[in-house]
Amino acid sequence: MSNTTQEPLFSATGITKNFGGVQALRSVDFDVTAGEIHALLGQNGAGKSTLVKILNGVHPAGSYTGIIRLDGRAVSFASPADARSNGVGYVPQEIEVLEQLSVAENVFAGRTGLGDGMLVHQRKLEQRAGEIFAELGIDINPRAYVASLTSAQRHLVMIARAIVLKPRVLMLDEPTASLSGIEVDALFSVLRRLKAQGVAMIYITHRLPEVLAICDRATVLRDGQVAVRIAREDFDAETFIFSMSGQRLQRLFPEHAAPVGARTALEVRRLTVAGHGGAVHGARDISLSVAAGEIVGLAGLLGSGRSEILQGIYGRVPAEGEIRVAGEPVSIRSPGDARAAGIALLTEDRKRDGLLFNLPVGANITIGNLAPLSRHGMVRGGLERSSILSAMRALNVKASSPQAAVTHLSGGNQQKLLFARVLMRAPKVLLLDEPTKGVDAATRHEIYRLVVELAEKGVALLIVASELEELIGLCDRCLVVTDGRIVDEFSRGEGGEDRVLRSVTAAQAQRHAMASQVSS
Amino acid sequence: MNSAADVSSPPRDAQSFRRRLIGFIAVGEVGVLAAMALLIAFFWLLEPAFLSERNTRAILNVVSFVGIIAIGQTILLVAGEFDLSVGSVAGLSAVVAAKLMTAAALPVSIAILGGVGVGALIGLVNGLIVVRLGIPAFIQTLGMLFIGQGLIQVVTSGYPVYPLPEAINVIGGTDLAFGLGWSFAFFIIAAVIADFVLRRTVLGRNMYATGGNKEVAHLVGINTNAYKIGAFIVVGALSAIAGMFVMADLGSGGTSIGSGWELTVIAGVVVGGVSLFGGAGTVAGGVVGILMLKVVQSGLVVIGVNSNWQQIAVGVIMVMAVGLDILRRRYFIAGA
Repeated sequence: MSNTTQEPLFSATGITKNFGGVQALRSVDFDVTAGEIHALLGQNGAGKSTLVKILNGVHPAGSYTGIIRLDGRAVSFASPADARSNGVGYVPQEIEVLEQLSVAENVFAGRTGLGDGMLVHQRKLEQRAGEIFAELGIDINPRAYVASLTSAQRHLVMIARAIVLKPRVLMLDEPTASLSGIEVDALFSVLRRLKAQGVAMIYITHRLPEVLAICDRATVLRDGQVAVRIAREDFDAETFIFSMSGQRLQRLFPEHAAPVGARTALEVRRLTVAGHGGAVHGARDISLSVAAGEIVGLAGLLGSGRSEILQGIYGRVPAEGEIRVAGEPVSIRSPGDARAAGIALLTEDRKRDGLLFNLPVGANITIGNLAPLSRHGMVRGGLERSSILSAMRALNVKASSPQAAVTHLSGGNQQKLLFARVLMRAPKVLLLDEPTKGVDAATRHEIYRLVVELAEKGVALLIVASELEELIGLCDRCLVVTDGRIVDEFSRGEGGEDRVLRSVTAAQAQRHAMASQVSS
Repeated sequence: MNSAADVSSPPRDAQSFRRRLIGFIAVGEVGVLAAMALLIAFFWLLEPAFLSERNTRAILNVVSFVGIIAIGQTILLVAGEFDLSVGSVAGLSAVVAAKLMTAAALPVSIAILGGVGVGALIGLVNGLIVVRLGIPAFIQTLGMLFIGQGLIQVVTSGYPVYPLPEAINVIGGTDLAFGLGWSFAFFIIAAVIADFVLRRTVLGRNMYATGGNKEVAHLVGINTNAYKIGAFIVVGALSAIAGMFVMADLGSGGTSIGSGWELTVIAGVVVGGVSLFGGAGTVAGGVVGILMLKVVQSGLVVIGVNSNWQQIAVGVIMVMAVGLDILRRRYFIAGA
């Protein structure tokens, strides 16, 4: 039951959506009234983005069941453009701007003719953009080139772009993901003005302090269903955390106990990692150690810097700090150095930086591992084939032959293939970034067993996973990462998902409070 | 009996036969060889003189020059880059070598090494600029095409370098077998070696990885920059060698050597199944592709097609071949 006294401006009733056999949303009801900021919360995979994609036409009418109403009238959007012209705007999480164009041209992207004819009225565009900025209290020169803007300013440009059409409903997907504390306050004042103008807003976020600060109502999704709907007067971080983690299907994790008195395999001291592509993200001042045979997890939200820590250790992105492997200091400037030191990395995105689609299954396993399989630089075909077959058998990679194309393998088999590649060199330290992303349930269990087996053989494992339940079930010890720093640490049995969410929230609240002090 | 035999048991059902057949067709060279056999049969049926000794020799001779460059271009395409300056580099290296052995009166062997050095140096410059500065290969090597053409004029003042020392005429005039000389021998030997390197060595495998996905190659510890720069150097040096063979064939350091080759070479290797997107193709395929292009050009002359239509045919064949390459990638490599 919603506690609103007003009629909802925009509502969705009984939304159900399937992807293949998987039910992403199960009869979800959601609504937002004019002048309301409604938070949409949930863990990764809870169904937030699926719901948003339905509401703004990315998943067109007909691909789901349920009814969407705008002003009480049933509507069906065929595309995001259709949703926009019906007054439903969307600001995506990723910054999508045209860098070579001016701010004004970006704000009016796609309608630079301002509705009359083919010509671009440069001065009029700038004037109109200036008016919108003044209205929203945004301080950006409309004539500046977007290339010169910070990521926060770019985000404001994207919001202005959505505002141009005078939307009645505005969806904001993680609008603060790339903003610093002061910039968040600037964004909030923009949102408050829009609220005063009667715009209905849907605010998707992971950050609870922001919900407490600005939202009027919150809906928590869990496993594709509405877990709870909370009115502002009942807001409480504890309630959110409880409803987000909730009771989920218990998975069985293989038994593993942290080794006692094992020597340290990986030691990292004061590691600072640059963000990808000059972004503000990254990791600062990270110190951690992993013993031989220990499984350590890095828990944190998307964009918290957890992957950057792995990439910094592996030499994929520039990092400064001290790294020791088995007590020996090593200098790592490239992945080649890390491999030589006995460190291996399984990357998060199989398609982008894991598989080589131009090479068959076998060559995908041996690439980078050919030195022991060759003599005088020539690959020894028989030896390569037999080691490929034994690696495929050991990890249960199901492919018709080593010559098969990797495209035709299932996600789970592709992932096992990449495990075979990184394990071929028998690493001392194994860094795993989302090792079970996009794999089926059976493979997931095989991977859990493999991780434990490797630990029992004395490999030190450092794992990043978005699913907290998985990380907590698998790891001997968890380090909680947020905003590029380690903010909490606990061993198996000392805490669950709620502990991670609580420490992340506490750290964010602290930062938010500090930023507000600075800006006020 | 032994376990190895069990592993490689023959296909039992129709589905696995079909898969094998698809796998066979997916190999680039097979398709282009079949197409070439059909074309040869077609031209020969229309005009038996097409397979005359004289015409066959003429085709093979021309193929040996551009084929040497095609070997390098194939390696570079596999590494994920390409070079438009090969024709200019061939011409420039030839006139520089010619000047070194005439105006500078250096021994022929030193002059030839100088020519190869010019080609390798230009390759190094191309490679460094593309890899280190991130300027696209298209722009960098197109620029180098013009620079090379200009330098040819600077070096020669617009006049062919003539006469050349007798040793050069000997290199150009030697008949090893079937009227084919040193350029053809070099072409065959270089092609066999290059094909072996790409197919069977760690170097070759790393080259495919680099061209297939630079980021993945980097993550498995391959120095992708070194591979790309190395491939640029190989193309430059092979272009220089091809240019000097033409010079020996003509007996003069002509200013038009290599002019227009860049597009012929790229068209040829692409017809032979070498992917413009990097990471796919073989030297054998590239060489067969070039041969096929020349067979078409010669065949159309022999059967008496108007020269305007010859150009059109070459264009159509190239576009068709690239279209087939894209289809092949979609179905066999990237998956539908």
